[in-house]
Amino acid sequence: MKAQPGNVKEDVWINTSCGGCYGQCGIRCHVVDGLLVDLEGDPETPAGSGRICAKGTAQLMTLYDPHRINYPVKRGNPEKGVGVDPKWQQISWEEAYDIITSKLKAAYEKDPRGGYFQATTVQTSEIRFAVIAFMRAFGFKNYWVSGGGLWCGNGAHFMNGITHAAWSIIPDWNYNNYTIYFGCSKGHGAGHAALQTAQFVADARARGMKAVVFDPYLSTQASKAHEWVPITVGTDGCAALGMINVIVNELGLYDAEYLKLKTNAAYLIQPDGHYKRDSKTNKPLIWDPVDGKAKTFDDESIKDFALEGSYTVDGTSTAPAFQLFREHLKKEYPLEKVSKITTVPVSTLRRVATEFAEHAQIGSTITIDGKQLPLRPSAAIFFRGSQGHRDSGWTCLCIDLLNHVVGAADVPGGSMGHGPPVCQGHPDTGKPNTVPYPCDDGLMVVKGWVYDHKPYPLREPKPPTRLDLQDMFPCSVYNAFTICSSDWEKYLDQFNIDYRPSFMINFGSNSVMTMGNAEQVTDNFLKKFDFILSFNIYQNEFTEAVADVVLPDACFLERYTPCVTFPSTFCHPTGMDHWVWQIRQPVVEPLYERRDFNEVMLEIAKRLGIEDKYYEAINRIIPVRYGGEMGEKYKLDPNGDYTWQDICDRVLRDRLGDDKGLEELKKTGLVKWPNKVEEKYWRWFVPVRIPIYFEYFLEGGEKIKKLLKQFGREDMFDIDSFFKPLADWHPCPSHEMKDPAFDLWAFCWRPSFHTQSSTQNNPWLDEISVNDPFVYLIQLNEETGVKKGLRDGDVVYVENAIGKKIKGPVKLVQGLHPEHLCIAGCHGHWARGTPVSKGKGQFFDDLTIIDEAHTDPLTQGQDACVKVKIYKA
Amino acid sequence: MSTNVIRYGFVIDLKRCYGCYSCTAACKAANHTPKGIDFAKCIQGEIGTYPSALRQMLPTLCMQCEDPECLTVCPTGATQQDENGIVTVDKNLCMGCKYCMQACPYGQRHTVDEWSTYFPDAETREMDPYQLYAKSKWEEKYGYGMAAKCDFCIVRLREGKEPACVEACPAKARHIGDLNDPESEISILIRRERGFQLNPELGTNPCVYYLPPR
Repeated sequence: MKAQPGNVKEDVWINTSCGGCYGQCGIRCHVVDGLLVDLEGDPETPAGSGRICAKGTAQLMTLYDPHRINYPVKRGNPEKGVGVDPKWQQISWEEAYDIITSKLKAAYEKDPRGGYFQATTVQTSEIRFAVIAFMRAFGFKNYWVSGGGLWCGNGAHFMNGITHAAWSIIPDWNYNNYTIYFGCSKGHGAGHAALQTAQFVADARARGMKAVVFDPYLSTQASKAHEWVPITVGTDGCAALGMINVIVNELGLYDAEYLKLKTNAAYLIQPDGHYKRDSKTNKPLIWDPVDGKAKTFDDESIKDFALEGSYTVDGTSTAPAFQLFREHLKKEYPLEKVSKITTVPVSTLRRVATEFAEHAQIGSTITIDGKQLPLRPSAAIFFRGSQGHRDSGWTCLCIDLLNHVVGAADVPGGSMGHGPPVCQGHPDTGKPNTVPYPCDDGLMVVKGWVYDHKPYPLREPKPPTRLDLQDMFPCSVYNAFTICSSDWEKYLDQFNIDYRPSFMINFGSNSVMTMGNAEQVTDNFLKKFDFILSFNIYQNEFTEAVADVVLPDACFLERYTPCVTFPSTFCHPTGMDHWVWQIRQPVVEPLYERRDFNEVMLEIAKRLGIEDKYYEAINRIIPVRYGGEMGEKYKLDPNGDYTWQDICDRVLRDRLGDDKGLEELKKTGLVKWPNKVEEKYWRWFVPVRIPIYFEYFLEGGEKIKKLLKQFGREDMFDIDSFFKPLADWHPCPSHEMKDPAFDLWAFCWRPSFHTQSSTQNNPWLDEISVNDPFVYLIQLNEETGVKKGLRDGDVVYVENAIGKKIKGPVKLVQGLHPEHLCIAGCHGHWARGTPVSKGKGQFFDDLTIIDEAHTDPLTQGQDACVKVKIYKA
Repeated sequence: MSTNVIRYGFVIDLKRCYGCYSCTAACKAANHTPKGIDFAKCIQGEIGTYPSALRQMLPTLCMQCEDPECLTVCPTGATQQDENGIVTVDKNLCMGCKYCMQACPYGQRHTVDEWSTYFPDAETREMDPYQLYAKSKWEEKYGYGMAAKCDFCIVRLREGKEPACVEACPAKARHIGDLNDPESEISILIRRERGFQLNPELGTNPCVYYLPPR
């Protein structure tokens, strides 16, 4: 099939979902005589509401881009490495299948565990069940999403999952009046319901909402905000704890009712740090000050909960968790100390804390759809910039605690779990049902979660079976420090992993560029695979460095995806609107010999004779990730023979109703149904509590320490400092670097018109970028630059303490903290397959260091800030 | 003065714009502008001194001036203005003298001598079908060597749709409406929010108003 419009005469609009980023906005595509000629937003969906961003519109250039991979190729050059010419040789699909099947069959027969999947976060919908199902069917567990996961989510998703049952948090700008931003761009960026949120924040600003942005960089959101507060990179958690200290200890302005009923603030803590438990029921106890006795936290006779004081229970001295929390903050986070670490003036910290707490209007209510709800129009939010540090997990928690102390969590005006986590399902089926529930200790357990291990309760630390050792750690989602280390083999020996990597299948991810130091990732990790198969739409730094076979992937305009807006992580805006279940459908048949990787993986499963296991795996994955058991009618029969479209159809009918299969959904591209108040503002409707005191980290920490000791590596992480119940901020290695030669912090920021490393080759986005005054330049504070003898436009080197350096033109700016320099996104491409992007911008990741010291002991997130020096080239 | 004839005007709310370039891309897709031409741009820059600095975004497009310089200087009458204020170029009359490009104080007149492919190093000689389509649409309306400009998506307006840039804007920062109607949305916005023109001293009376950024 060539890339020429067909002979068919037609003028149609086809509804589908954009794949320019993981926002997945609903779009309408205009196809005239077989040629895609226009892309617009679909006004019918709340995921986008008729708008479309630059990345989305620019996809018009992706479908017919001559750089697209159109035929299967195999590597002609046996040499692998960064920058190596792979010398691609075109092959037929049959030859590709033969190579793949023989390699995988050999691996399957020798030891299936050595397989590794690597996937992009941009096409999350496609990855979430079919790819995982193949892994289950084949029999391996190794999987990661490289930079999209590690830099982006180990800390944030983990913590948001614990406290909001969600992927991240955004303010309810329908009612919010005061938002504190740390390290995120909500409403001014991409991804998280970006297009809707852009309007919401603009509307909120117009009616007087004040945003205060803590950021070393004068980002767009900082420019639009009421106030920009420059802060040293990676110290957000410290600033947050200082402000909470003011709120609870100086102002006493906290939501006592919320803390008593919705958190474990009132749980009694004994001297060893654990809950004081009832001897009969083992439930955590609280102190009822009215009746003057201890009761289990869920005792129906409770008249009040003590948040302060000390109480002797069964001879044990105890105190409510909140008492310990307050004392801890007062002792460890006085503003003078916080100011020194963050460089934010004491007066600013105190004022912002006061404004935040006052705007929360503790005690106020609002009626929505006939239901009275707490109104708390304050929110503190964070994302990648905050959590991309050694203190990944705790930083997120420290910031989110601001919300919980004033009761501004999942109520009107407050910080909302995003994508909205609580869904009672389509009226016809009750699916997807993702209503959380309490554990025996009363703490919230998520119902639907994107990974198989939930953020709470902590997974039991066990000897690892994965090649990245991830399954040993209770909180980790992905591990990079192991696989990207030159000591990877040593780790595998030391931890008794009795198999080795055999093959990798990559779905669009560019781990050579998006994880860290390119050579480190390539030489230590990627080169260790015997065979790498990659599905891509362009040849990029990853494929050219290490892929053996590259298959021409269908892009989002050429494929079917049954579940796009669920699991609800990125797409739905806050507030009362509709749930939308969107699909993806081809607007044109895949051009040339492109094929959808879902179809290809299904074919491979069949050729390997494991398609029965694949179907069974899908039956098991759908309930976990898409909220609810599969009915017998649409379960896949292991002995059946399905196409990818059959599978899509069955999943749709099972989730949404007999009358909502693929053919029906193709007409409008979506099904929607109204939200309920109990779903969107769920906090007081769901009988769950969240921790402000992480009692269970103590046990988790003991277990992981014991396990590490068993393998002779108790020195790996400072478990005691991180697996503690009370929130703390911990510095990055960059904060402790003493060498005065490396006097600047370097970090990267993301422009809203690019998606990780995948969009820079789009010529429309390239044209925009080249004309933008900031995005392809190294920004440095002007006063700092002048002191270093630099002028605007000088070509400079930026070098880290281990001698790795990058080069580019410097731009002297006012909008940057004087002790920092910053570089945009994931640029500085060098691949032959993406010539439009080649050499533009800088490759920031080469400055980062992946090792134990730069890894979060709690969540294994990666530290992305580094101390550098800058000098003229 | 209220009349029955619509006078199209734009309001761009600088409080809402966050410099995402959605307008730039949407305009390119709708008008099939070639490489090097954008009818809708967003000029971005910095003012002030650390820490009291500000990043500004200034979306630009043709001002559809009430008293356009481009119209005044056009020697052939190719540049015309309809009763609604939209300024267009009749490519059959334009002789490519570029006098209008010199005269426009807002830099909103454009021209290219040829279609430059967006993929100059592509192996295949033949341009991809989307670019061939866009090129044919460009040639239909504007051609090469002649003047080209934003026309507020007048064809879309006549179909009852909004200009592409207005529809695309995620922050809803762009509005089009009737300046002749004192109670139209944009007239109210201009009055209430103290909308201003760019460089009014140049005397062309632009129909694009900006709402202050802060």
